[in-house]
Amino acid sequence: MSQSNNDILLAISTPPFWHCGRTIRQNSLHTLLALAPAAALSLIQWGVPAARVMALSMVAAIVTEAVCQILMKQKLSQDNGTAAVTGLALAFLLPASAPWWLTLIAAVCAMGVGRMAFGGYGANQVNAALVGWALVFVSFPIPMDPNAAVLHTSLADPLFRAKFFGGAAAADFPLADLLLGRQLGGLGATQTGALFLGGLYLALRGVIRWEIPCAFLAGTFLVASAFHLADPELYAGPLFHIFSGSTVFAAFFLATEDSCCPHRRLPMTLYGLTGGALVMLIRVFGVYADGAPFAVMLINLLAPMFALIRSHPFGTGPRKAKRTSDNEGRARS
Amino acid sequence: MNRFMQELTKGLWKELPPFRLLLGLCPVLAVTKSASSGVGMGMAVLFVLTLSNMLSSMVRNVIPSKVRIACFITISATLVVAVELLMQAYAYPLYLQLGIFVPLIVVNCIILGRAEAFAAKNPVHLAIADGIGMGLGFTMSLTFLGSIREILGAGTWFGHPVMWDGFQPFAVMVEAPGAFLCLGLTLAAMNYGTHRQLMKKSRESAELPAASPCGGCRACALGRDKD
Repeated sequence: MSQSNNDILLAISTPPFWHCGRTIRQNSLHTLLALAPAAALSLIQWGVPAARVMALSMVAAIVTEAVCQILMKQKLSQDNGTAAVTGLALAFLLPASAPWWLTLIAAVCAMGVGRMAFGGYGANQVNAALVGWALVFVSFPIPMDPNAAVLHTSLADPLFRAKFFGGAAAADFPLADLLLGRQLGGLGATQTGALFLGGLYLALRGVIRWEIPCAFLAGTFLVASAFHLADPELYAGPLFHIFSGSTVFAAFFLATEDSCCPHRRLPMTLYGLTGGALVMLIRVFGVYADGAPFAVMLINLLAPMFALIRSHPFGTGPRKAKRTSDNEGRARS
Repeated sequence: MNRFMQELTKGLWKELPPFRLLLGLCPVLAVTKSASSGVGMGMAVLFVLTLSNMLSSMVRNVIPSKVRIACFITISATLVVAVELLMQAYAYPLYLQLGIFVPLIVVNCIILGRAEAFAAKNPVHLAIADGIGMGLGFTMSLTFLGSIREILGAGTWFGHPVMWDGFQPFAVMVEAPGAFLCLGLTLAAMNYGTHRQLMKKSRESAELPAASPCGGCRACALGRDKD
């Protein structure tokens, strides 16, 4: 090899590959667009405090990424928008009453510990926004609790009601209210209707794979139905659990981060189903009212295991490309 | 004497037990909730390690090599019981704080590791130097981790408040995840420093760093130069 070729590095990545003409920048712009209706609704509902949290979180995430990239002597990549998406996703999980230092710590931890410590975008094992959220959620339970008095609202947290007053209390929350985000919780993650539409847009555009959110919601639905059928007085119905808290947000926006999820149909389905089931298990048996973010972190960590399922290289192995999920292919391989 | 100093100082940085050798991680993760318990645990290990190294080295030519592991364990178990009783007598609050991790020093990898890898092959004075060096390194590391976790997680250092008024303690740091987080970030920082030193050395002498974990292809350095 001649001297001039020395600085051309061969980038090797593993299959499967997805062909699409898009760039990371376009993907994050689509994601921001999909998050926009929920952001607008939360602005209408919470007003200035929500705008404050979202703006601070995004700015802190972008600045942290830039500082880390300068320190790590990497090329600055703020223009691809991934830091902004992470910052906004993090803000969606925080309550609108979050003090500024809480938002700042969460955003800095999300980008610093959650992403840049692993080497940058695409190298993180666990969704970066969730790392920031989990650190502040475990550390500062009191400011992380959405405070109805500070926010001048009479809304209640449906999951707290369901957890502490039984499933019958879930009847206080009509489905339309849940869909329109009239519930206390993360400032954007509770706008389930808008997030659902945004998620559908992303799935139709192919920015995220539809299998993961479908399987995630299906998992929640199945396990919630099982609990509900066993004791309707104690456990709320499946639709309540899907549209309360951050289940929809987790299914469409958190579980689908490209570096943290498997990429073939069967592993993606299992990944989603596990996540959805975990949401319900944490909600029913765990100490926290909303299990969705923790469930996503757990399946993120399990993603390499899921990726091992039927991992034949392209063109080899007993299965044909089309038979990825049907029973015949499973029996043969 | 030169060799003596060398064995004494290697445990302080070059072979720092928890961070370089990754030995004895159980107490490192479990009892570093505060700087003082880190120091206490470190001192206990220092005491046991030095004496067990000395005794193992003294008996190394007497015991048959087939049963040497059992003998080393017996020696360290005896010493640990002594430490436990001394602690109960003279440092009872510390004993309560450390709890089960004092008896667990017996199965600490460092004790057996140093006895097997060093004391069983070297004369007594070198074994003592090795034990003191490793023990001091262990104490240092535990105090370091304990300080970080205590300052961030409780806002105090050795029980004295050091942060400003209204400081909100970062509670996750004194929980179990905080221990893993601190240890991981510390290891990453140390690896980064070592890697940089190797790179610098290789650039100066234009030789490949043989000890570099990636085999030293210099690709990373070239990519970085490009940017």
